[in-house]
Amino acid sequence: MTTTTAPHTVPGHEEAAQATPSLARRTLQVFTGNKLALTGVVLLVLLLAFSYLGPLLYDTEQTHTDLSQANLSPGTDGHLLGTTDLGYDMVGRLMVAGRTSLEIGLAAGLLATLFGTVYGAVSGYFGGWVDAAMMRITDAALAIPAMFLLVVVAAIITPSKGVLILIIAAVAWLSPARLVRGEALSLRNREYVQAMRMMGGGGARAVFKHIVPNAIGTVIVNCTFQIADAILYVSYLAFLGLSIPPPSADWGSMLSAGITYTQNGYWWLIFPPGIAIVLVVAAFNFIGDGLRDAFEVRLRK
Amino acid sequence: MTGFLVKRFLQALVVLFLVSIIVFVLLHMLPGGPARAILGPKGTPQQIDQFNHQQGYDRSLPTQYFMYLKRLFTGDLGDSYKLNSPVFELLKQRLPKTLLLTVLSTALAVVIAVPLGLLQAVRRGKASDYALTGLAFLLYATPVFFLGLIMIILFAQVFPVFPAEAPQGESIGELLGDFTGLVLPVVTMAFGIVAMFSRYMRSAVLDNLTEEYVRTAMAKGQSSRRILVRHVLRNALIPLATLLGLYLPTLFSGALVVESMFNYPGMGLLFWNAAQGSDFPVLLGVTLVVGIATVLGSLLTDILYAVLDPRIRSVA
Amino acid sequence: MTELQLTDAGPGTPAPLLSIDDLHVDIASRDRTVHALDGVSLDLVPGEALGIVGESGCGKTMTALSVLGLLPPGGTVTGGRILFDGQDLAAASAPTLQDVRGNTVGMVFQDPLTSLNPTMTIGAQVAEPLLLHRAGIGRKEAWARAEEMLRLVGMPQPAERMKNYPHQLSGGMRQRVAIAMALVCEPKLLIADEPTTALDVTTQHQILELIDNLRQTLGMAMILVTHDLGVIANRVDRVAVMYAGKVAEQSDVRGLFARPRHRYTEALFAALPERAADRGTELHTIPGLPPSLTVRPTGCRFAPRCSFATQECREREPELELSVEPSVEPEWGLVGAAPAAAGQDAEAAKASPPSGHRFACFHPVPYGDAPAEQVVTPPPATATEPGEVLLELDALVKEFPLSGGPFARRRGTVSAVGGVSLSVRRGETYGMVGESGCGKTTLGRIVAGLEEPTAGTVRFDGRDLSGLSRAERRAHRRRIQLMFQDSTAAMDPRMRVGEILREPLVIQGVGSRAERERLTAELLDAVGLPRGAVHRYPHEFSGGQRQRLGLARALTLAPDLVVADEPVSALDVSVQAQILNLMRELQRERGLTYLFISHDLAVIRHLADTVGVMYLGRLVESGPAEQVYAHPLHPYTRGLLDTVNVPDPAAASGGEREPLRGETPSAAQPPSGCRFRTRCPFAAEVCATTEPPVSTPNAAGHQVACHFPLAAPRLASAV
Repeated sequence: MTTTTAPHTVPGHEEAAQATPSLARRTLQVFTGNKLALTGVVLLVLLLAFSYLGPLLYDTEQTHTDLSQANLSPGTDGHLLGTTDLGYDMVGRLMVAGRTSLEIGLAAGLLATLFGTVYGAVSGYFGGWVDAAMMRITDAALAIPAMFLLVVVAAIITPSKGVLILIIAAVAWLSPARLVRGEALSLRNREYVQAMRMMGGGGARAVFKHIVPNAIGTVIVNCTFQIADAILYVSYLAFLGLSIPPPSADWGSMLSAGITYTQNGYWWLIFPPGIAIVLVVAAFNFIGDGLRDAFEVRLRK
Repeated sequence: MTGFLVKRFLQALVVLFLVSIIVFVLLHMLPGGPARAILGPKGTPQQIDQFNHQQGYDRSLPTQYFMYLKRLFTGDLGDSYKLNSPVFELLKQRLPKTLLLTVLSTALAVVIAVPLGLLQAVRRGKASDYALTGLAFLLYATPVFFLGLIMIILFAQVFPVFPAEAPQGESIGELLGDFTGLVLPVVTMAFGIVAMFSRYMRSAVLDNLTEEYVRTAMAKGQSSRRILVRHVLRNALIPLATLLGLYLPTLFSGALVVESMFNYPGMGLLFWNAAQGSDFPVLLGVTLVVGIATVLGSLLTDILYAVLDPRIRSVA
Repeated sequence: MTELQLTDAGPGTPAPLLSIDDLHVDIASRDRTVHALDGVSLDLVPGEALGIVGESGCGKTMTALSVLGLLPPGGTVTGGRILFDGQDLAAASAPTLQDVRGNTVGMVFQDPLTSLNPTMTIGAQVAEPLLLHRAGIGRKEAWARAEEMLRLVGMPQPAERMKNYPHQLSGGMRQRVAIAMALVCEPKLLIADEPTTALDVTTQHQILELIDNLRQTLGMAMILVTHDLGVIANRVDRVAVMYAGKVAEQSDVRGLFARPRHRYTEALFAALPERAADRGTELHTIPGLPPSLTVRPTGCRFAPRCSFATQECREREPELELSVEPSVEPEWGLVGAAPAAAGQDAEAAKASPPSGHRFACFHPVPYGDAPAEQVVTPPPATATEPGEVLLELDALVKEFPLSGGPFARRRGTVSAVGGVSLSVRRGETYGMVGESGCGKTTLGRIVAGLEEPTAGTVRFDGRDLSGLSRAERRAHRRRIQLMFQDSTAAMDPRMRVGEILREPLVIQGVGSRAERERLTAELLDAVGLPRGAVHRYPHEFSGGQRQRLGLARALTLAPDLVVADEPVSALDVSVQAQILNLMRELQRERGLTYLFISHDLAVIRHLADTVGVMYLGRLVESGPAEQVYAHPLHPYTRGLLDTVNVPDPAAASGGEREPLRGETPSAAQPPSGCRFRTRCPFAAEVCATTEPPVSTPNAAGHQVACHFPLAAPRLASAV
């Protein structure tokens, strides 16, 4: 109601015809006003910088093991956080492992979102029998808990980075599929889609001009959560001993390697990778939550 | 309500059928196929051929699927080649224990999450709400095994209050008898769920607080506390039943991790050990049973929801 | 600028039960603060009924809510007092307020569905106030009293209903429950906030009657908040007209309607379609919109929209002053109200406290002037020249399956449209009127091509639409367009107005980009919006402006027929008048044909040449508007006309009226034979067995589907 113009404007006597800021810009405004979301962005940027730019400043040996240097406590011989059980420098190891975790998480999350969105949109837009059949398939796939499915598949196939991305995406697409399907079902019946049909517009226009743009907010928000979940999945698989074999590493496999030494009090093997996982997953969740708020506010009056 | 239930029941049947197909497909994805799975890595090519012929694995896929179903109905899930025991027998021992763990930790989670979410909703926008929301996110972001590890370090090593290993009893009664041993696994698993449920409660209570019936209740002269307890809580709790159903797979996934972590003798541990040893009959048997349990569980929660919500219950 | 003098009751008047004194309320939201109430003062003596009327956002609901401290989140009383029974509720503690709420002051809200708890039984909800406020009352006794209360509010089978849940009752019955809940402790004051706005005309009438009766029985005072001048004219003793957070004028009800003094009140009355001299004339409109109240306006708040405003009005704020008139009663005699009214006027004057007729205006309507137009019955005007038939419906049927889902068995069908035949001529406005659920919207959607009929044919310009090929159908689309009730929902929130208006042209492949832009600009001119609107999003416009946009979009493809489904029912009276005028103007200029669907008899009467009346899927009566309104042939039409609240207290009391009773049966099991028979005073056996044939007993073109059409032409209704 803040921008009410006089309704009886006489033609030619109009007020300054100013374009209002685009929706994207206003969404950004709300988002940047959300402290938790900003925290998430800062965290994520820091973690990305740590993993990708870190090695430029803090170069360490990460391919050859040196058992004579194993399990050094933090501060020894210039190792800031000590060394791992194989003698790698802990900080350097965290950088290398971070890349793996982030890359698999991002790729799997995006892939799952992409496939799930298309699947859900098709199911919701066609409705009826197509929808019922497609949704029963997702129901069945959802009924088998993700961890169980992942473990079985990972036990059959030897995991590599690409394989991990594929199998995590194969489990994770279900949630965006159901979400987008719900959106599509409700958007399909919105009056503005009906209005468009009145003008003679067809299905393609309904989907690409109206349904997809209006569902995009939900998709983006869900995508951030998917990435967070994918990073968690990677760590769970590592914990269950099903990650990419050494010498490559991810934060999950570092953490599970550290578990062996719980009794020895080698805390630096456990807490740094654990905290790294918590921070990156929380960062994506903060961002997702902030985006959700921003998208909701935008459509409110 | 009967219409709703019949529809829901038929849906569950279809889903069960599809679950069996998924497991059947996984069985055929195994290197060497079902024969390798059943004979184990020691089987020679001759043995495998012979086995395939005997068991009908050289026939068409639909026929094979039909035979697979027939075996399922007789409870034949194959034999573990690590434990030398029928998978069915193993599951009969282990499933109740996993259910015990799941039920206990879910109950604990609900008991913590409901008042927590309520508190957050009432304190909306205040410092305590932000702090609890941030904490819930952190908790959600923490892998269950990291949480369990922190628990073990804190309560079994630094302050040795509880044992780090779960009780190893044969029956449920024995497990419950050794209660201190249950504390860490149950609490660890509950914490993972608390984050999700308190988040739900917070938004459900907030949604309900903006409902007009709350204003009506105020106009009757009820105190805020009474409105929360008598009106809002009830309306926010009913959908929690459905939420429980939706989170069943997540719960079972959590159980898998927690059981492996604390050496709790449930299905999850059985599954984990099987994964370590490529014991495929056990892996697929557990997967199937967990799938069935999820389908039946969510059917149950939906029925519960229908019974609790008069809007569904009383539709003729 | 306190208005304390208002509370100074003269000697001999009862002390006020409620005295609101210089009340200020702020509503703070995320980024701004709205000064919702700015110095509101009102008095109410025991047993009196006060109406608060005004357009949306004027503060009428905030006034009502602040009495019980029920302001929405962010709302605070920043100044003033609310004295109830000697207690200042504005400053009262939470326990004190809780003690008053539901006990000595009861409240009824607008929406009877959402204001009841969906998961609690009716009995528990009605008994709740007793358990809270009557110490020592047992559960059993509370339930017995609650059941008694349900009986009192006219709930059939109250004992069974006690165990039901809100969703099992109809809207009218739910509102009865809400009333029972508010009255179960026998309060001294009932606050009703738009209690009938969500209900159909007939249910509305029944609920208002019920409140009236209960008020008499229980001897309580009432504050009735409404935007509906018709409701306020017939149900209260005194009225306060609010505008932009202030009381603009207050008076006894007859004095106000006969002789409004504030220029806003005058303009509001003039904007009513009922007040238009005849169908041909334009409605009076109030230009512009109320101020946003985020900043306190200087001067009179109505000045920017007032044609009498002077420099003084813009600089100084007028205060409520007593209307100086030597004697009140003789003036009314002059107005020409019904002769019988004089005696009732005296009574009304006795009942109301001597706060008299006050208004806050520097340039009031002078006394010598003729009062604002009375509700006039238009003379049977010459119908507009009939063009050729453009749209013809023949035995149109639409049924919806009751239960969906692939696995559920069908449990029958809902008969939304049960065999409707009618024809619409080019250039005319066909007004379709009926209550909710009568099938008028479905009919409109079939005509617009959004639904396929189950049976029957739609002929447009002589061609049967079902026989069209795909390509022909697509081309045909542009000839019939639909104007929605809620343009917010009908416009993609992510598109700017320019793109929204161009979309029909893009789809139909009309013109080059430059031509499309020129056409959009022309359309914006035509509907009175600035051309710069193309750069804005729909949500940045007000409700009235969005309806203008909706109209503009419907006209982009230059259609022959526009189906308008309740296009003004979400709008305030003054804005509604603007849209109705605009629609009429564009019809003249562009030779449009309208199928205008509405529940509002007055709007239809103002706009339509031909009227159709629908009841439960059937067209029960149709004919030239004047004839249908003046000589209704169907008992339902007549009942509907008798039920409507006329915004004129004088008209309401005259003549015998037979409002409709009962509720509309479910369309899933419509009554056999004549669908209206279950509520018809004249129903006979034949009505149950035989579908009534269509006849034209009175004049050609005036059709009725009834076994016993009303014979005697009765006095024209006031609507």
